[in-house]
Amino acid sequence: MIKKIGTLFLRDLKVNKRDFLAMYIIIFPVLFALGINLLAPSINDTTVNLALIEGENPDQVTYLEDFARVEMFKDVEAVEKRVAKRDNIIGVLPDGDDYYVLQQGNEAEGVVDFAKLLVTFYEQDVQLENTNAEIIELGRTVPPLKKLLVNIAILFTSVLGGMLIALNIVEDKVDRTIRAIHLSPVSRKAYILGKSVIGVLLPIYGTAVLVWITGFNDINVGQMMVIVLVSTILSLLVGLIEGLNNDDVINAAANIKILFLPMAAAIVAVELLGDKWQKFFYWIPFYWAYKGNDAVLAGGATWQQILLYSVIVLGLSSVVYVYLAPKIRKGLE
Amino acid sequence: MIKVNNLYHSYNKDGKFAVKDVSFEVKDGEIFGFLGPSGAGKSTTQNILTGLLQLQKGDVTVAGYDIKKISNKMFNKIGMSFEESNVYSKMTAKENLDFYRKLFDVETREPEELLKLVGLRDKANVRAGEFSKGMKHRLTFARSMINNPSLWFLDEPTTGLDPAIASEIKDIIKAENKKGVTIFLTTHNMYIADELCERVAFIVDGEIKLIDSPKNLKLQYGDKLVEVEYIKDGEPNKETLSTIQEDDIKYLQDIIGKYEVQTMHTKEATLEEIFIKVTGRGLV
Ligand SMILES: Nc1ncnc2c1ncn2[C@@H]1O[C@H](COP(=O)(O)OP(=O)(O)O)[C@@H](O)[C@H]1O
Ligand SMILES: [Mg+2]
Repeated sequence: MIKKIGTLFLRDLKVNKRDFLAMYIIIFPVLFALGINLLAPSINDTTVNLALIEGENPDQVTYLEDFARVEMFKDVEAVEKRVAKRDNIIGVLPDGDDYYVLQQGNEAEGVVDFAKLLVTFYEQDVQLENTNAEIIELGRTVPPLKKLLVNIAILFTSVLGGMLIALNIVEDKVDRTIRAIHLSPVSRKAYILGKSVIGVLLPIYGTAVLVWITGFNDINVGQMMVIVLVSTILSLLVGLIEGLNNDDVINAAANIKILFLPMAAAIVAVELLGDKWQKFFYWIPFYWAYKGNDAVLAGGATWQQILLYSVIVLGLSSVVYVYLAPKIRKGLE
Repeated sequence: MIKVNNLYHSYNKDGKFAVKDVSFEVKDGEIFGFLGPSGAGKSTTQNILTGLLQLQKGDVTVAGYDIKKISNKMFNKIGMSFEESNVYSKMTAKENLDFYRKLFDVETREPEELLKLVGLRDKANVRAGEFSKGMKHRLTFARSMINNPSLWFLDEPTTGLDPAIASEIKDIIKAENKKGVTIFLTTHNMYIADELCERVAFIVDGEIKLIDSPKNLKLQYGDKLVEVEYIKDGEPNKETLSTIQEDDIKYLQDIIGKYEVQTMHTKEATLEEIFIKVTGRGLV
């Protein structure tokens, strides 16, 4: 069974490499990721990295760690060497009783200002509670635009996975080859699974590519996988249904495009609407997938949170499945 | 190899039957033909036997498997060539076969060998989408043999092919049958049925009218006919006359007595003439 599922998958992959639309779907995550990088600055550019001397002022280190990523070096020379490297890292070095900020010159302006501000805050003994939210945002979290775009791209990828499944099933119907497969010792279940593989792999690969190219290197990979896998289930269902119910590519693609509507609604709800409106979007699986992705991308999502979102998406997908299963079975005949 | 009892099928479950109370048996090693005009229910029957259509009513056993609870393993033993060719147009002829053979659990034939057999060796690396109708049909036909089936379903195997290729296909069918393959063949072409089938079933409007060997049928139903060519008033003439009907016999005697007969030979009734006699319907 596994071998036959593999055979079906490899055939799909081979044919998809020859098809413009399918090829486009496959390289979409790469294109989108590159686009995001052009649009939004990379995370490392805006996370403030500070280079300090080890043991020189442990108190200050503890303080600064609340606001920035701190690296320790053994002396002034080592700090200078580190700062001279290409990325955005700023040295904070003692100068008698005071401290001065060492920069290379290519750092983003905001970052340098922020570093100066931090040093001043420490000297003035400003506590975390006193600082305003804006500063915490700049120092500790990823720029919201970038996170938003990556999150949208991940959702897109899972829908495109469904689209790819539909394309491949429609091919089997247009060429009528599905009848030949039914006359081989391949069970309907193996056929469905074989056709689904590409729809699972695309979101996994797409998410990995997106996260990697855009530089979200510190996220919890396990949590991300769980969220992506779960949200893929829905796309699988949709891909199978649209594939089995449509006799040509155009119709299948058009029907899948409708999915972008609830997806967009979910994103708007999370990003723009107030708390009291949220409950109206609970029924959309993308809503939970988006929240899950968001939490993982921001860092610091708990497993409880991720599992809760996953269970909800799974539950909603099951409802869709129960509703669609008879249609899937019928579509196979 | 095949046993069918009281088979019915209604596409819309509306009491209108495409197949009505059909019963027959196909023995190991024979070529059994379903002969009937288009729309008679031949493909419907075949599709039920291969599990493509769900069995609604009746008892069907195929290659030792009860069609009510079809096992995937059955498909290792059977092959089917479709009336409408169905191959992946985005894949080459060879890729089509390479892919399909991997779906079986039994030993399969080499794609190159099969392509050569159906005259597509030069086209092995051409995408099927660029094939003519006849070439696609030959590829579909070749694919149906890839798992060395012991029971081979052929739905209109030569329809739409040019005569030279049709004759090659017929030779392949005969050769496979000689190796012991049982063949269930549907056609509306009486020449194919006559030439290939050991037994034929006449089917019209979803019902089997009779089952017998073409030879028996001709003995039973075919009047002995005589075809005579003669010169009358300097012009060549040709008549086909019965050796049983009084008028014809008299006329024949006249011709022999009065004119110069050039050729004269007996001619059997064709299967189509018998079909019309039995069913009251033509084959088209
Ligand atoms: N999918 C279908 N839905 C409804 N009616 C069908 C379908 N396929 C065939 N039929 C009808 O069933 C009858 C038998 O068709 P078929 O078995 O294809 O005939 P044959 O193969 O002998 O030409 C015809 O009247 C045809 O119109
Ligand atoms: Mg037919």
